[in-house]
Amino acid sequence: MQAYIARRLIAVPFMLFGMSLLLFWLLFLRPGNAALTGFGLVSPDQNAQAIASLEEEFGLDKPFFVQYGKWAWNALQGDFGISLKNRRPVTPEIRSRLPVTAELGLLTVLLTAVIGLPVGIISAIRPGTFLDGLLRIVTISGISVPNFWVATLVITLPAIWWAWTPLWEYVRFEDDPINNLKIVIWPAVTLAIATAAYVARIVRSSMLETLYSDYVRTARAKGLRERAVVLRHVFRSSMIAVITVIGIQLGAVLGGSVIAEQIFGIPGLGLLVFESVVSIDYTVALAAIMVFAFMFTIVNLVVDVSYTFVDPRIRY
Amino acid sequence: MTETTEAAAALGQEAIQPPARRGAGVLRFLRQQRLGTIGAVLIILMAIGAIAAPVLGTSDPEGFGVAPILEGPSSSHIFGTNREGRDVWSRVLYGGRVSLKIGLATVVVAALGGTALALIAGYLGGPVDFAFGRVADVLIAFPSILFALTLHASLRDELPNLGEVLAAEEFLLVVAICIVFTPVIFRIMRGNVLEQRAAIYVESARVIGASEVRIMWRHIFPNLVGLLLIVMSTTLPAAILTESALSFLGVGVQQGTPSWGADLSGSNRAYFVSAPWIAIFPGLALSVTVLAFNLFGDALRDTLDPRLRGQR
Repeated sequence: MQAYIARRLIAVPFMLFGMSLLLFWLLFLRPGNAALTGFGLVSPDQNAQAIASLEEEFGLDKPFFVQYGKWAWNALQGDFGISLKNRRPVTPEIRSRLPVTAELGLLTVLLTAVIGLPVGIISAIRPGTFLDGLLRIVTISGISVPNFWVATLVITLPAIWWAWTPLWEYVRFEDDPINNLKIVIWPAVTLAIATAAYVARIVRSSMLETLYSDYVRTARAKGLRERAVVLRHVFRSSMIAVITVIGIQLGAVLGGSVIAEQIFGIPGLGLLVFESVVSIDYTVALAAIMVFAFMFTIVNLVVDVSYTFVDPRIRY
Repeated sequence: MTETTEAAAALGQEAIQPPARRGAGVLRFLRQQRLGTIGAVLIILMAIGAIAAPVLGTSDPEGFGVAPILEGPSSSHIFGTNREGRDVWSRVLYGGRVSLKIGLATVVVAALGGTALALIAGYLGGPVDFAFGRVADVLIAFPSILFALTLHASLRDELPNLGEVLAAEEFLLVVAICIVFTPVIFRIMRGNVLEQRAAIYVESARVIGASEVRIMWRHIFPNLVGLLLIVMSTTLPAAILTESALSFLGVGVQQGTPSWGADLSGSNRAYFVSAPWIAIFPGLALSVTVLAFNLFGDALRDTLDPRLRGQR
């Protein structure tokens, strides 16, 4: 198992290298001066010298691998360069936005587990009942409804019915925790609907698989209470599926934060990605997406390693 | 033709091969999978709505001054009108065309591509398998929306002109969504190819002197079809959701083109509280469509996956 963890850890830098190379290539595929023109730093009819000097300032006149090498070397030291748009350094911007998105992500995963697990367990221990059928329809609807529509309804319907809207002025958690949570809870709920429904479905099916296995029958036969059988024997062995799904769902949450932050006006990393990609602020987009990808890679690693603790049968 | 095969045709898939006798499998599906049947019916209705949009009492979804602006639902405009005076009912039907077109194109390309790559990687093994696997790892490691967003930013200035069938923006959407889903399908199919390759029937085929290509195509591939159908049926709603999310973010279809995602975004948002019908109907159409595909896909999996058969 230690060998497995070591192998996975060694793979992480290679993954990040591949991801950054791909991203860099995609974003720098376009000619550099097009990016500069986009910001009005250079107008197309301006003299070639101005363009050339700006290209030099951002290093855009160098060959691809030189540019990449320079970027990667600096990025390894935590320096993501300066924004093409406002020429401010990128790293402090990322650092101030990361906690905002991390909070949203954690809150969403928490809601996902709190809603998804009980719903899945209830469905699984009463298969075929009316309640199970109802929950099945609810959960499949949950994974079908797009989060941006849910967010739209959260903003629109209460405003029509009760003239109520979520707070718009974002406050940071460290400044005012209560009001911060009042704001962040809505995008979190929006994102958690689909993920909780997904988790509930996986919990149900993986628990049903084990509910009729021999060792569960043995546990019942030796007189354990049903509660103990379900929670200690069945649920524990389905945990592996649950952990996987929550891990995968975190990816969905990271992607969903782009949408939720935009709709609810949360100044997090997702909003930064969206704004920078749309406005072609390459250095910012590159840094923000790499931070997302890094988080996702680490979560996947933790998920895979945690299998071994949950399920002693798995030995890598 | 029965409903299931019609639905399969609407999905652009080959007619499903029922397990034993043709009619019996479909009948069993209809009897045992009531939710799946509801899904199939909804899919058919949606497909009819999209295909027959021009004759279903619609007006020009992109025209100006077709009707009074921001009028609530009435007998002449059952879903109301939007701020440009366009009929929302028309826009919902034409939006279905975009979703269906992009969803189908994506799923077909991603499923065929993913399966072909999986056959090659799973069968050749060694460095080829390793290389494909690592590329898939890298592509899967990006949250899909982020990656599609990046692809869009990178490619949007170099769009090919494809004429009427697929607008340039739609082509870009298909490419972006395909690159997101192909590695996922590749990974699922590769695992299955490895499983099949180790089976005795493959060894037997090799013993009697079948060529590698023949083993891959005639022996292993047919055993993947069931799984492939399941994967396609789950990928299609995911692709439709991704398209609408990208259009919602403003990096999808061309501006003005009716699309469920795009119609919920941008400057429309200012009017949602005063004219909720322009927020409700496109989202409802999208949700119901995705729900229908999910219901159908679930039922299909219950029916086709031999490991699950007989449960419940």
